[in-house]
Amino acid sequence: MSTFVRRAVAVAALGAAVVTTLSACGSSKKSSASPSRSASATSNTRTVEVAITSDGCKPAQSSYDAGPLTFSVKNTDATAVNEIELLSGERIVGEKENLPAGFSGSFALSLPPGEYTLYCPGATTEKTTLKIIGTAATASASSDTSQLLAQGTKQYADYVNSQVSELIAAVKPLDTALKTTDLTAAQNAYKQARKYYERIEPVAESFTNGSDNLDSDIDARQDDVPANQWTGFHRIEKGLFQDNSLSGLAGYGDGLLANVAKLQTLTAGLAYQPAELANGAVDLLDEVSKTKITGEEERYSHIDLLDFSANVEGSEQAFACLEPALEKIDPTLTATITSAFNALDAALDKYRSNSDASGFVLYSTLTDADKTALSQLVQAVDEPLSTVASKVVTS
Amino acid sequence: MTDAPAPRPSDSSPTRRGFLGAALGAAGVVAAGGAGFGIAKATESTPSPAAAKVAPSEVAFYGVHQAGIATPAQDRLAFAAFDVTARDLRALQAMLGSWAAAAARMSTGQLIGPTETAPQAPPVDTGEALGLAPGNLTITVGFGPSLFDDRFGLAAKRPGALAPIPTLPGDALDPSRSGGDVGVQACSDDPQVAFHVIRNFARIARGTAVMRWSQLGFGRTSSTSTTQATPRNLMGFKDGTNNIKAEDTAVMNDFVWVGEETDQPWMKDGSYLVTRRIRMLIETWDADYIADQQRVFGRFKDTGAPLSGRNEFDRVDLDASANGQPVIPADAHIRLAAPGNNNGQKILRRGYSYTDGNDPTTGQLDAGLFFIAYQKDPRRQFIPIQTRLGGNDALNEYIKHVGSALFAVPPGLSGPGDWFGKALFA
Repeated sequence: MSTFVRRAVAVAALGAAVVTTLSACGSSKKSSASPSRSASATSNTRTVEVAITSDGCKPAQSSYDAGPLTFSVKNTDATAVNEIELLSGERIVGEKENLPAGFSGSFALSLPPGEYTLYCPGATTEKTTLKIIGTAATASASSDTSQLLAQGTKQYADYVNSQVSELIAAVKPLDTALKTTDLTAAQNAYKQARKYYERIEPVAESFTNGSDNLDSDIDARQDDVPANQWTGFHRIEKGLFQDNSLSGLAGYGDGLLANVAKLQTLTAGLAYQPAELANGAVDLLDEVSKTKITGEEERYSHIDLLDFSANVEGSEQAFACLEPALEKIDPTLTATITSAFNALDAALDKYRSNSDASGFVLYSTLTDADKTALSQLVQAVDEPLSTVASKVVTS
Repeated sequence: MTDAPAPRPSDSSPTRRGFLGAALGAAGVVAAGGAGFGIAKATESTPSPAAAKVAPSEVAFYGVHQAGIATPAQDRLAFAAFDVTARDLRALQAMLGSWAAAAARMSTGQLIGPTETAPQAPPVDTGEALGLAPGNLTITVGFGPSLFDDRFGLAAKRPGALAPIPTLPGDALDPSRSGGDVGVQACSDDPQVAFHVIRNFARIARGTAVMRWSQLGFGRTSSTSTTQATPRNLMGFKDGTNNIKAEDTAVMNDFVWVGEETDQPWMKDGSYLVTRRIRMLIETWDADYIADQQRVFGRFKDTGAPLSGRNEFDRVDLDASANGQPVIPADAHIRLAAPGNNNGQKILRRGYSYTDGNDPTTGQLDAGLFFIAYQKDPRRQFIPIQTRLGGNDALNEYIKHVGSALFAVPPGLSGPGDWFGKALFA
């Protein structure tokens, strides 16, 4: 199930949908090297030594002066603890992961005065108060992060709106082609339209209200629904690629166009929470693992790699919208995810081809070893990505 | 161990150590059934304080040697080999550190971390072993020859004894069931507890290492302690009556534990692990007549006695003859495997029966022995022994070696903060 929970009913039918930016947050693809935080590590940086034991995480002092601080953390023997977080209220402002017993690490940030909490989940005493005193030398790190998150969610909304617009623009020629006698043109139009939907599928999935299941109406596969209710992309795919016939498909084309228009009505003007972006990014990769790796999604056309790549792009976009804020909260995690995405992109690029209108070789040509390698690369992103939502919760 | 589970509902992993285990002295623990601990004690010169509190159904994780070698063989196995995909040394080290911390906790029946850290975060532990007793869980980790290539600059640290196993007579190895950079053996009397280890290790490894192959074993085929009866393999025979028993400290030191003689100090008190997936041609075997089955092994099927004797533990008399023929045939399994025919060499066998359903092409059962052996130096032990067996053993008509792996198992961990191979990377 989708993690997007609709709170507000969408507003105007058009509104923000005029946005045409394809890439609202900029791709994270090429920025593998995370900007060094040494900028903040000026000569007046002080070090907060933190010792993690099974009892808890204890700073050397209970209070420090405001300004640039480097947290130098050593886990001596706490087998249940693998990370430390610095919280302001319930929000993470800094953290270090992958710190099992016997390991050390550090993170740096500039802190305004206030009461913070060192949180080491798994210890006997998980939370220890840390006081930052004096006057703020720089702008509040936490308000910076909040602003970046707010900006990211707005950009993601723009991205969703742009993809829905593109989807409508691509379904129209498909609908038209289904009313002609040119099978190849219709097949190509089908392949052109798919990616816009796959990039934002979790948003569409969130509109499930009793029998009104928009994702199902648009994207159900054969046997997902009773035969007499089967409609949408994959019903058209079966006609075009298995029956090799346009016969009887015109009605499905009209229905699909109506449903994507409805999607636009529902998504226009929506606002998103940062955690929704993070969970949506994970959902997209789960989609890959569930139905693309297995070749079930496009079982007649075998253009699963197109959907695969669109799911990954959608996931990267959602992540990219969170990246500036996450970079402040946990630069190591940001770098890990970015580099895992890059490895996945590089592997997918190897299958790009002009031999098919989808832009990829057909999935049926992949060996089991190819699929295993792709699957493992997806999991390598999925696992660290699944920890992002809890770090960008704004409260 | 100093880390008690945190007092909160989300980490309610019951600690089965209880006050009883803590209160009992070492002798009491042995009496209470903690045979694994008793054996660890027998071979340890300096037991770590962490090993001082062990309850029934728990085997001490920390100690001079890794648990799972001298430990009396548990009923179930989950084994996995991993290939390291990361090129970042720190990532590999952190994975081994996280494995060690998780292993220490799982060995005492605790969750590897809290279920709830934040509502939006997945649980640290996958949860399926919550509430289950550890069942003498042991987790044993070793490094394959391939880890010592140029990726992590470890080439100079590769022990001579970790030379890859050459192709042996009769090998029909599937590369996808062989080798691996890191091997993990999880043994428990509860299969779900053993599987939980492999699953959580694989999860911790994501992004750093991928599973190359894995193997479940449903029944032990070896006894490694005088307290255990010899089990039967899937051919219905007792194979391993004369296995090394952990109580025999001198034999353990001579044949299993790496000593001062090693060319790599980081391996001292470790051991070398050989695994072989040995497929049994069950249908053919089942059609063989009993006299021939007994000649193949050199033992009577029901009693397990050698053909030269009456009772299971009677001495194997390789010289006995009747009507001018050796009683134990020249190609019988026990004759070829006997230390007397292998320069006196022995190995500690710790294998498990397996089945992976049936072979889709032939419809025959895909079942057999997942052979596990620990030794001081495979070049003098497993390799020459298997060379003999692979060339001449009458059993070869009914078995096929389809998978093979070798791992250098470093010594035990001293306590929390130590991790698998810490000395290797030092």
